[in-house]
Amino acid sequence: MTENKKKILEMLAENKISIDDAYRLLNVIDSEEGGQESTPKAEPAVKAEPKYLRVSVMPDPDAANGSGDRVNVRVPMSLIRAGIKLTSLIPPEAMDKVNGALRDKGINFDVRSVKAEDIEELIEALGELEVDVVSAKGEKVKVFVE
Amino acid sequence: MNRPPLLMHMKIQNENTNFGLWLPLFLLIPLALVVLIILSPLILIAILVLWPSGWGKLALLAVWVAFVSFCSLRGLKVDVRGRKESVFISVV
Repeated sequence: MTENKKKILEMLAENKISIDDAYRLLNVIDSEEGGQESTPKAEPAVKAEPKYLRVSVMPDPDAANGSGDRVNVRVPMSLIRAGIKLTSLIPPEAMDKVNGALRDKGINFDVRSVKAEDIEELIEALGELEVDVVSAKGEKVKVFVE
Repeated sequence: MNRPPLLMHMKIQNENTNFGLWLPLFLLIPLALVVLIILSPLILIAILVLWPSGWGKLALLAVWVAFVSFCSLRGLKVDVRGRKESVFISVV
């Protein structure tokens, strides 16, 4: 039995959800698990750790004047990690100022709450990141991890 | 922690300039080490004086983080090409 199914049954036992809701949720989980079982080889079991963050900007190849800059940047993930570690050097007074500035912009976030474990999780999640934008001018912007 | 980078390749091109440079970072490391050893008594005194205020620990941490950041530069590549100018930086 999966963790999700256990949670649903626990919620049902505690009368937090109705029998109908529990039945519906269990069906959803079953259908999701069935879908995963039918394509077990769709994704490799172990994903390689991302090493680089790539940003590439390509101009429109059909542009008449051939203008537009080509940008190709490869940033090592270790450099991103080191950069994030730099936040630990920010003095508490400056942290308050940063938090205040974020609040002014409508972002209710405490910079001090960022922990090393969260950063690792964030970097792992970056492995699935892929941004692909084509502008109106025909420029292609790609951000991905390799 | 990564091994420190060995070389940095820079190339800047525009209508007037065509500048390329291979910077041997592995030669700079012993040089930086010598400077650090020479300045270490001063650094130590500064850290000890600043320790009660909390800035000493920050200064010590800053040196370490700077070194880690330097080591993490290996693999960095920046390539920007315009119509008339281009900049290329690669750390190997």
